[in-house]
Amino acid sequence: MTDSLPPIYNFPPLYTCQPNVLIRKQQLATWCDLLLNYAKDNKAWCLNHEGSILRDSESSNASIFKNETIQRVAPAPFIDQIWKEMVRGQKAVKNSDEAYFILWRSLEQWSSLVLQWFETSGKLNQVVTLYELLEGDESLGWEFHGMHQTLCELCLQKLCDRGRATLLKEQNKIMGVKVL
Amino acid sequence: MGQGSSKIEVTKADKAILQLKISKDELHRYTKRTETLIFNEREKLKRMLREDTKNGTKSPRARILLKKIHYQNHLLEQAADQLINLENLVATVEFKLVEKQFMVGLQQGKDVLTRLNKEFKGAEDLMDSVADQIAYQEEIDQVLSSSLIGGFEEELDRELQDLDEEVNGSKEEAPVKLPDVPTEHPIASPELPSTEHLPELASVENQPQEKPQREAQFA
Repeated sequence: MTDSLPPIYNFPPLYTCQPNVLIRKQQLATWCDLLLNYAKDNKAWCLNHEGSILRDSESSNASIFKNETIQRVAPAPFIDQIWKEMVRGQKAVKNSDEAYFILWRSLEQWSSLVLQWFETSGKLNQVVTLYELLEGDESLGWEFHGMHQTLCELCLQKLCDRGRATLLKEQNKIMGVKVL
Repeated sequence: MGQGSSKIEVTKADKAILQLKISKDELHRYTKRTETLIFNEREKLKRMLREDTKNGTKSPRARILLKKIHYQNHLLEQAADQLINLENLVATVEFKLVEKQFMVGLQQGKDVLTRLNKEFKGAEDLMDSVADQIAYQEEIDQVLSSSLIGGFEEELDRELQDLDEEVNGSKEEAPVKLPDVPTEHPIASPELPSTEHLPELASVENQPQEKPQREAQFA
C-alpha cells in the first residue's frame, strides 16, 4: 500500500519531530504530500486520525504513520501537528469522529468535475441521487466514483453556492441533487 | 447562467423521481450485495468439495449451500428485473417531463400567435378605410384636375388669341371709334371766367388756347 510512495518515506528522521522550525516546516510539507499521494494511490477518501484508511466503516490496521520496513512510527503529538497542517492547507477536511477526508483535489476541483459529469452525461435538470452519482454505473471511470458521501455533499454544496445545484432532502438526509 | 440569485425550484415531479431513484438505488445495492454473497458462497462450496473429496457431493451441507446459492440467484434475477422496471419507469417519467416541456412550448407559441393575430383583427377595417381614403383621394384629384384643366384651357385660348393679334394684327380692322358728328348747333360756349382783371400776358396766353379747342369742336 505504501509501495508507490517516494523514497523519502523510508527516511527515518521523517518520523521524529524536528526541533528546527525551518526543517520542521519542510518535514510537515513532506508529510502532507505523502498523505495526498497515499490517499490518491489507494483511492482512500477517508483516513482516521491514526492514518489508517477507512472504508465502509471498517478500518485496516495499516497506517501511513507506521513504517514497517524501517520500523518507525510517528509519535501521536507529531501526528496531531501533521493533521493540523493538512487542515490548514485545505488538503484535508475534518469529518466527525476523528476522521479526515483527504483532498488530493480541492473541493472546487471536485465540484467542477462533478459538474462536468452532469454536463457530459446529459443529467442536467434531472434529479440524481447521490448513490447514483457516486456508485452508479454511469459514473464508472470517473475519478469521483466511490467518493465518500459526506465529502460529495461538501462538493455539491460548492455547486449550490454557485447557484448551479439544489440538494434534495429525504428524511433530513441529503439524498438527491438537481443540477442546472 | 445566473450566478447565485437564480433559485432552482424543486417540483413535485422531482420529489417523485427522487423517491423512485432511491428505491432503484436500494435495489442496485441489493443486487451488488447478493452478487458478492453468491460469489462467497460458491467459493465456500468449492472449498468444501476440495476438502472432502470423497463424500463432499453427498454431504447435506453442500446440498443446502448449493440450494441457497440457487435461491439467491433466483432472487438476484428478480431484483434485476425489478431494477430494469424501475429504470424504465424513471426513463419514462423523465421523457414525459420533456414532453411536458414541449407542450408548454407549443402552448406558448400558440398564445403568441393568437395574440399577434388579434392585433391583425383591425386589419380588415384598416384596409377598408384605407381603400375608402384612397378612393376619396382619387375623387378629389379628378375633381381638381378637371376643373383646373377647364379653366386653364380657356385662359390658354385667350392668351393665344391675344398673342396672335399682337403679332399678326387683327384680321379685320377694327373701326376706330370716333365720336359722332354733332348734328345740332353748338350751344353757346359756356361762360368762361372773365379775364379782365388778369395781367396782359395771361390774356395772350389764354387766347391761343381757346382756339384749338374750338377747332377741335369743328373738325
